[in-house]
Amino acid sequence: MYQHLPDFKGQPAQCIKRIADNAFIPMDPANTDYQEYLEWLAEGNEPLPADTE
Amino acid sequence: MSSKARELANLGNAYSDGALSNRNLIINGAMQVAQRGTSVTGLEVGQGRTCDRIGTYVNTGTWTVTQETDAPDGFGNSFKVLATAVESFGTTGQVQIFYTIEGRDLQGVAKGTPSAKEMVFSFYCKANKTGTHAIAFRDQDNSRVCTKYFTVNSTDTWEYKTIVLPADTTGAFDNDNNGSLQIEMWMNGGSNFKTGTPTGAWEVFDNAIRLGDGHTATIGDSVNDYFQITGVQLEVGDTATPFEHRSYGQELALCQRYYQFVGGQANSFPLWQSYYASGNYAVWPMPFKTEMRASPTSTIVGTWQTTRIGTLALLYVNNQGFGIGGPASSTGLIEVYPNSNDDLLTFSAEL
Repeated sequence: MYQHLPDFKGQPAQCIKRIADNAFIPMDPANTDYQEYLEWLAEGNEPLPADTE
Repeated sequence: MSSKARELANLGNAYSDGALSNRNLIINGAMQVAQRGTSVTGLEVGQGRTCDRIGTYVNTGTWTVTQETDAPDGFGNSFKVLATAVESFGTTGQVQIFYTIEGRDLQGVAKGTPSAKEMVFSFYCKANKTGTHAIAFRDQDNSRVCTKYFTVNSTDTWEYKTIVLPADTTGAFDNDNNGSLQIEMWMNGGSNFKTGTPTGAWEVFDNAIRLGDGHTATIGDSVNDYFQITGVQLEVGDTATPFEHRSYGQELALCQRYYQFVGGQANSFPLWQSYYASGNYAVWPMPFKTEMRASPTSTIVGTWQTTRIGTLALLYVNNQGFGIGGPASSTGLIEVYPNSNDDLLTFSAEL
């Protein structure tokens, strides 16, 4: 399961959070964790919305 | 020919194949570096990593993965997988040790060209059971595979193995930072992976030949089954040369392209310290020790000690470094430092 991160200083977050280990996964196509996230999305899953501060 | 003359002749072959130094394409082949720790226990599904760059994938049974000091003469460490609970491998069970090489590091192989070269894979292994193991060399860029076999002849004994891979004029390795060649050394696997007969040449990838019908090893059918490796080397050419030992510092720097961490020392001085006004956002940029393969996945582990800062956060990360910080809760000196050995920032761009 994944979760969006809140914007930082008005800019969209450049990472997605993996809830299982609180890892921050960058949106880099060469990152294997991001590749797994894209596969997860392709299966029809949706990340949780960002926490509101 | 004397053994010394043979070694010199083999090095002559290595020279002809293009490298006397830096010929080992495997990083941390002597299993010296273990940045993530020396033991993973209770591994049931997924990857387990201790020695850097060396992966274990399991989906059957329960396993312990360790860096060991037991090794053949000339080596200080080895990598071990140990079965602590067993179940049937059925049709899709897996336990394998794997290693993935970046395409950029494989261009000397000239794969997919008329000048394609052979490669030699060599290693030391030890197991509690005799048997024949499959190694699937997977070309991830072109969906091809070359499956080879080696046999453990004696139990609980270090043995040296060499495997020659044929040249492949089909399918070039991409010249980029993604994984291009994955080496899967199988301990055991389900029946779906054993129904085919590998030719021993490079061929179209098929799950049925990842182990193929030549694999007989049954590591993981019994509790306390184990398999160990060290001295792993992959080099261009048709002749295995003696293992190329690199210094610990060289291996660590090479490993840090794929994984590195900050912290891990109790009672250390602040890693970051600045004067900020209340409400201002403190951001400390930090270059990586080595530029990483890709933008890494990052984690904040443990409870870091902070002064005048709210929630500590990694604010941005790319393959060259990261920014850490947070909002100043009051005006004054803001500090961040690890207060236990478990306080870490980890960065992984592993393949």
